[in-house]
Amino acid sequence: MIFVYLTYRNIRQTIVLAEQQTDRQMIYLDSSVNCKYIFTSDFIFTKQTIEMALRVPKAPGFASMMKEGSKYTHGLEEAVYRNIGACKELCETTTSSFGPNGLNKMVINHIEKLFVTNDAASILREIDVVHPAAKILMLASDMQEKEIGDGTNYVILFGSKLLENAESLLRMGLSPSEITDGFNLALKKTLELLPTFEIKVNLTKENLRDNEPIVSKVLQTAIGSKLFGYHEFLGDLVTKACLTVTGSDSTSSFNVDNIRICKILGGGLFQSTMVPGMVLKREVESEITKVNQARIAVFSCPIDIQVTETKGTVLLKSADELLAFAKDEETSIETQIKALADAGINVIVSGGKVGEMALHFLNKYKIMAVRLQSKFDLRRVAKTIDAVVLPKLRAPTHGEIGACDSIFVDEIGDTHVIVFKHAKSRIATLILRGSTDQILDDCERAVDDAVNNFKALTRDTILLPGGGATEIELASKLSEYARTCPGIEQYAIQRYAETFEYIPKILAENSGVKSTEILAKLYVGHHDNPNLGFLIGQAKSETTQSNDITYETGDVKLSELYDLYITKKWAVLFATKAACTVLSVDEIICAKPAGGPKQKENKGWDNDD
Amino acid sequence: MQPMIIILKEGTDSSQGKSQILSNISACQAVAEAIRTTLGPRGMDKLIVDNRGKPTISNDGATILKLLEIVHPAARTLVDIAKSQDAEVGDGTTSVVLLTAEILKNTKTFIEDGMHSTIIIRAIRKATALTIKKIKEIAVNIKSNDAEEHRALLEKCACTTLSSKLIARQRDFFAKMVVDAVLMLDELLPLNMIGIKKVTGGSLEDSRLIAGVAFKKTFSYAGFEMQRKKYLKPIIALLNIELELKAERDNAEIRLDNVDEYQKIVDAEWSILYNKLEKLYKAGVKVVLSKLPIGDVATQYFADREMFCAGRVQEDDLKRTQKACGGTIITTVENLHEQSQHVFGTCDILEEVQIGSERYNFFTGCPKAQTATMILRGGAEQFIDEVERSLHDAIMIVRRAVKNDSIVAGGGAIEMALSRTLRDYSRTIPGKEQLIIAAYAKAFEVIPRQLCENAGFDATNILNKLRQKHFENHIWFGVDIIHEDVHDNFTAAVWEPAVVKINAITAASEAACLILSVDETIKVPKSSAEPSNAAKAMNMT
Repeated sequence: MIFVYLTYRNIRQTIVLAEQQTDRQMIYLDSSVNCKYIFTSDFIFTKQTIEMALRVPKAPGFASMMKEGSKYTHGLEEAVYRNIGACKELCETTTSSFGPNGLNKMVINHIEKLFVTNDAASILREIDVVHPAAKILMLASDMQEKEIGDGTNYVILFGSKLLENAESLLRMGLSPSEITDGFNLALKKTLELLPTFEIKVNLTKENLRDNEPIVSKVLQTAIGSKLFGYHEFLGDLVTKACLTVTGSDSTSSFNVDNIRICKILGGGLFQSTMVPGMVLKREVESEITKVNQARIAVFSCPIDIQVTETKGTVLLKSADELLAFAKDEETSIETQIKALADAGINVIVSGGKVGEMALHFLNKYKIMAVRLQSKFDLRRVAKTIDAVVLPKLRAPTHGEIGACDSIFVDEIGDTHVIVFKHAKSRIATLILRGSTDQILDDCERAVDDAVNNFKALTRDTILLPGGGATEIELASKLSEYARTCPGIEQYAIQRYAETFEYIPKILAENSGVKSTEILAKLYVGHHDNPNLGFLIGQAKSETTQSNDITYETGDVKLSELYDLYITKKWAVLFATKAACTVLSVDEIICAKPAGGPKQKENKGWDNDD
Repeated sequence: MQPMIIILKEGTDSSQGKSQILSNISACQAVAEAIRTTLGPRGMDKLIVDNRGKPTISNDGATILKLLEIVHPAARTLVDIAKSQDAEVGDGTTSVVLLTAEILKNTKTFIEDGMHSTIIIRAIRKATALTIKKIKEIAVNIKSNDAEEHRALLEKCACTTLSSKLIARQRDFFAKMVVDAVLMLDELLPLNMIGIKKVTGGSLEDSRLIAGVAFKKTFSYAGFEMQRKKYLKPIIALLNIELELKAERDNAEIRLDNVDEYQKIVDAEWSILYNKLEKLYKAGVKVVLSKLPIGDVATQYFADREMFCAGRVQEDDLKRTQKACGGTIITTVENLHEQSQHVFGTCDILEEVQIGSERYNFFTGCPKAQTATMILRGGAEQFIDEVERSLHDAIMIVRRAVKNDSIVAGGGAIEMALSRTLRDYSRTIPGKEQLIIAAYAKAFEVIPRQLCENAGFDATNILNKLRQKHFENHIWFGVDIIHEDVHDNFTAAVWEPAVVKINAITAASEAACLILSVDETIKVPKSSAEPSNAAKAMNMT
């Protein structure tokens, strides 16, 4: 008996929210014994916590021990239910953007920038969630974004539905620890079950290039959840881009940064194209605007007369010296440029300013000059053309010279761009066109997700049936499992199984179809076919005279609707852990916010871009 | 009792659901209302005074929307598409906004009736694809084999654009000018190689096109007036050199130990300048243009030797001169001889001409002549500004027409044809889509309708006539603004490049879909607001 009591007390963690304006990180303090640890989603049983738990009656007048102005709540009613409520609320916002038929949200963030998107990660990032429990869920989705880059909405949805189900269990009288135990058991079982649902398509890390149609299908699923209707076009485009940069040895790691996106306002989405190489929104410095079979030198320094770092004065002693001065300077730079021309260079790319005198000689020797503002762009260009970035103006050796099929200035819309087109490039650029900035931004996010999916594919090629088929199968398998569990956890496992139903249910609801009907059909169908899912179909040709959008259940394997195993695995894992974390909190203490000015956030100052 | 839970920052405004879509649509309609009356040949202009008190008169949709500084998030989308249309084709900015608003207006009833917006979006996308296909199908290819004929065609396109602008009455005059200017350019048709100079005073017809370069007389020093004002076949040097006495290098210092040396240094400084001048003179240069100042010593020197000079020439003018006359902009006068073939440019005539109260340098008869300059005359400053914008639109249209040579008839004809096609199509499909595609088809009628309304015609009457004509497969019938009737606009030469329409319809549909797909707006307060407060957030106060 006493043991049960103890475990219950164990999870009574007291939270001190150190959310002073300075750091947003939550520090969970075990206040009474002063043992400090950064909270993880699992329980930590320390000697101190048990000791603490033994001190049954709490110190009288807890509030009086704290600084004035701090807040304190505890217990099921006050803390747990309200935390769950907050998570539900958060989920309300993102639910309607789930799936191919999800609607967009217009978010205006704190610097008044407008976002129109249905990407959960972007929405949550911009709306500034402050409620601590809702934030835990948000952080879980954030982790998913970092780990996989897709499936963020899945985490929010699954996590909060899990909490919703837990709430009714709590009201039934189960303790939070029993529920979390059950959830963890269910999670373990889920992770065991997931790989067994694999759809076998003979896709391996090595043969991605030979299976372009399948890869394209996988990416289309990702894009379809953002820009349904454009998914086939964009999916093929992204696939092509990804496979271009992968090279022949697919085993080498794939870097998301190698797919560049160049957004140019105007035209329509279907005018988007893919270029092997780089596209930069700049104009060239020199008079020459087009070079074929370019031999390129890349410099990180300005192309100009070298200036000393140390402050110095040129000391002239006689009139002759004065006369010769300018001439010498000119000859010096001319020799340098001439040396480049002699080495066969016909394009130079510089990270710094191109001096007027230097430009004059570059034009004289018919060398094209491109100036790049960003050092990251410089690095990428160097990678595209396989050149070595030189820190000093000198003629490069043979190995340091880059090569490019053609470099030219083009006008897209009314934007001038420099195109580095190189068939053998390790970098590919997608030129996205669209009529508004918001469409372009949303398109960029969809492409990002697709590229991330491709990356996940290079790590693990197990494909699962999409369209909610996996979830329904999981739901039925898990409830069977629940019935075999002897303990009280079986209720929790049962609920966990039911939570999976929400995925096809919401997919159906967002499409305006009766969800209960679909669910019933799915359950029945799954007896015979584990790949049955909810399909949003589109007839093949434009001219078919039937209503060409169908919402039906169907075999997702036949219609090639694939999800990635790895995405699903992490999403379920993160969501469960987050839900358990929220459940295991029963006390909330908010310290009084400290005064003083807001600390400047300097995040991301050295990020790429 | 459960208190309300706030999970977002205090002051965060969030609205969602059907009413949100409806209010966004209303906002877009309000924007369209503002520029509705500017459409077409009988469209009215708007006078906008910006926050610095600068007045602008325009009937260009993109310009007006830009100046309105719209903050409503959904309405901002319309500004964006107008901008995108401006960037992509340069004209048709008003139509694109009107079209978007009309599509939204026609779909509004479906939203009110509870139809899911994704169904509407899907139908709109499908209808757009059909429309584009139809335009491509019926667009007429103008052939460019006969140069004379090709020219005439381009002029007609320019005329159509200009007829809806301030300078509609002078459209033939300007259309010719615009086509001339565009045809002078090289194959890339760079816009910045057409210079537009504005001189107030005179009448519109005094405007002229220079096949070459013209720019305002630059600031000059004593001696300039002694220089000749007309040169035939001069050799032109384009410099990026300061022809003035100046320090060779900022951080150079001279230390001397006797008086003789001092005089030598002074002489040396002069001789550096004279060396440069002499080198130019010896190379046979007659005209010196420089980006940097040309001082009075140099001006005097050139005047003595029958040479012409202009300092502080604007960079784009200098670049245009280079394009027209050949040569390169040089940064040093060393080695002029070894490559003199490439360094200098030339032209037939350089002369200084008085236009209004300004003096201009004209370079005409240039050998390369891949550039043109328009000199616009007119009364008020705002007036010339608007003329410049109109000409910009016309230039863009002609550029597009040169690049893609398929055209359609304007004046509402193409819209009516599309509307009819879609309507016919919609009758062949079952389900909700039928209604939406029919509504989309109806949206196209806004263009001819607005044309009529702006001209003061009975829109219903004209539209009825149009529908009847189109039913009889007269696909090019549109509004005849002059006779208050309908007319075959293809024979009447009211033409627009097909690409303009394609882009406008794509952009309008994309924008409409975007607005329809938003069901929630969340507005986070500006970051200057109160710092976040977790206790408040959890409603424990």
